[in-house]
Amino acid sequence: MSAADASAKYLALAGSGLRRGLSERSILVGRAVFLGVILFTFSRIWSLIGARDSLPGVGTRELIWYLALTEWVVLGTPPMFLAIERDVRSGDFACRLVRPVSYVGAQVAEAIGESALRMAALAPAGVAGALLLGGGLPADPRGLWLAVPLALLGSLIATLSMTVVGLSAFWVVDTNPCFLVWQKLVFILGGLLFPLEIYPEWLQRIAHATPFPLICWAPGRMALGWDPALALESGLEGLVWLALLSGLIVLVSRRARARLTVAGG
Amino acid sequence: MRIRALLRFAGSLTATNLRASLALRGAFWLQAVLMVVNNVAFFTMWWILFARFHEIGGWRLADLMTLYGVVASGYGFAVVFGGGARRLARAIVDGELDPRLTQPKPVLLHAVASSSIASGWGDVATGVGMLYLAGRLDLANAPLLGLAIAVSALSFVAVTVTFQCLAFWMGDVEQLARQLWELTLNFALYPQPLFAGSLSFVLYTLIPAGFVGFLPVEVVRNPSLHACLYALGGAVLSWAIAVSVFAAGLRRYESGNRFGAIGS
Repeated sequence: MSAADASAKYLALAGSGLRRGLSERSILVGRAVFLGVILFTFSRIWSLIGARDSLPGVGTRELIWYLALTEWVVLGTPPMFLAIERDVRSGDFACRLVRPVSYVGAQVAEAIGESALRMAALAPAGVAGALLLGGGLPADPRGLWLAVPLALLGSLIATLSMTVVGLSAFWVVDTNPCFLVWQKLVFILGGLLFPLEIYPEWLQRIAHATPFPLICWAPGRMALGWDPALALESGLEGLVWLALLSGLIVLVSRRARARLTVAGG
Repeated sequence: MRIRALLRFAGSLTATNLRASLALRGAFWLQAVLMVVNNVAFFTMWWILFARFHEIGGWRLADLMTLYGVVASGYGFAVVFGGGARRLARAIVDGELDPRLTQPKPVLLHAVASSSIASGWGDVATGVGMLYLAGRLDLANAPLLGLAIAVSALSFVAVTVTFQCLAFWMGDVEQLARQLWELTLNFALYPQPLFAGSLSFVLYTLIPAGFVGFLPVEVVRNPSLHACLYALGGAVLSWAIAVSVFAAGLRRYESGNRFGAIGS
């Protein structure tokens, strides 16, 4: 199979994920409403605190844009681990192995397609919410351009790490506990609700040793000021983590297939 | 039906549900422990914020812990003893109320208390832990805490029933009911001063976070006869609405033509 053929297949799968996302409009609406609620709640928190001592040079408006960006990534990434878990439980995983396309690759491609739709749909809601509740653009809005590729990279890192969570179904069957742990790590170490700079230093150091800040903090941080060097550094770090996660997925899926051969589908 | 018989019936349903939850001991503990971890992780956000800012709208960390303690405990007891409320919309749409309609017991009570969610014990444990850390867990406070948690739990169940009963008129509202209910829980876990002004009206009507969180916590934060009466009044009003909506909906209910035992 040539590289062009393989690309066409995965593109078709991404398209199928996108169409599936289109058919679930109520989920999109629910996520947009949730995004609005969380932006509103935190706009109230920051206005009460006054953002006075938060970070030098950073006001309520920047902190709201930070949250809009982090939530955009998290709400825009579908919980694709559920599909893997379902296939493992039902035995469909074994049936899909005979297809001329990698099972994990297909799942990731579909998730990317669905993420593209969700992020495109949530972007106007996030921008409108941040403009309305923050009272305008951040002081230096140029950073928002850098935030977009970093958000896409963050979503891809989230998708790959959720793939590992999904593949854990071969060992634990119910992946929900693993997902909850992963979700909370994104929440805390990723800096989902406010920048890591607000955290105590020891917690910041722990967070930066993990891939979680690349999902939320890296794109969100771009709302706090123009820093192309930091964006480049985060982008490169993100690529390294993508490579590491891909390697981990190959390793885990090999073990899963070996387990399937021994235990049956 | 006499009150005593009704209570005996509710007690039997609860005991059966608890036995069913504990039958899968491993799953029970896993769910409960994970819920504690989940709640503590969420609360980390407040620890980080208060470590830096000390006060938000006149609220300190101990106040937030009290709010979280009351709401988490109330929510936990609501899903442990009234877990069936969250499945009411599905039961209405699928015509699963049929077997309950033939029983000489109140249909709503039967439907609500017919299921228990084990992870609720994790919420109760978190709530109690938070109240302990807030310094509220002592004998002198016990009656007020009991009242606040009971009011919160009762209001949670009533609000869930009301949202789920929309299925009588609108069909499959599982997603909508779930989202309204999540919004209620979400708002109830934040300090009330954040939502002053016209939003307060929404939080006592469309998204009744006031009844499940704001009013009960005031019983403990600022104890007074007024606070107790407001909290109790909120729970009574929530239930009056829930029962009226359910009764009105039941008149429109169409049988699912189901044959079989309850729960089948």
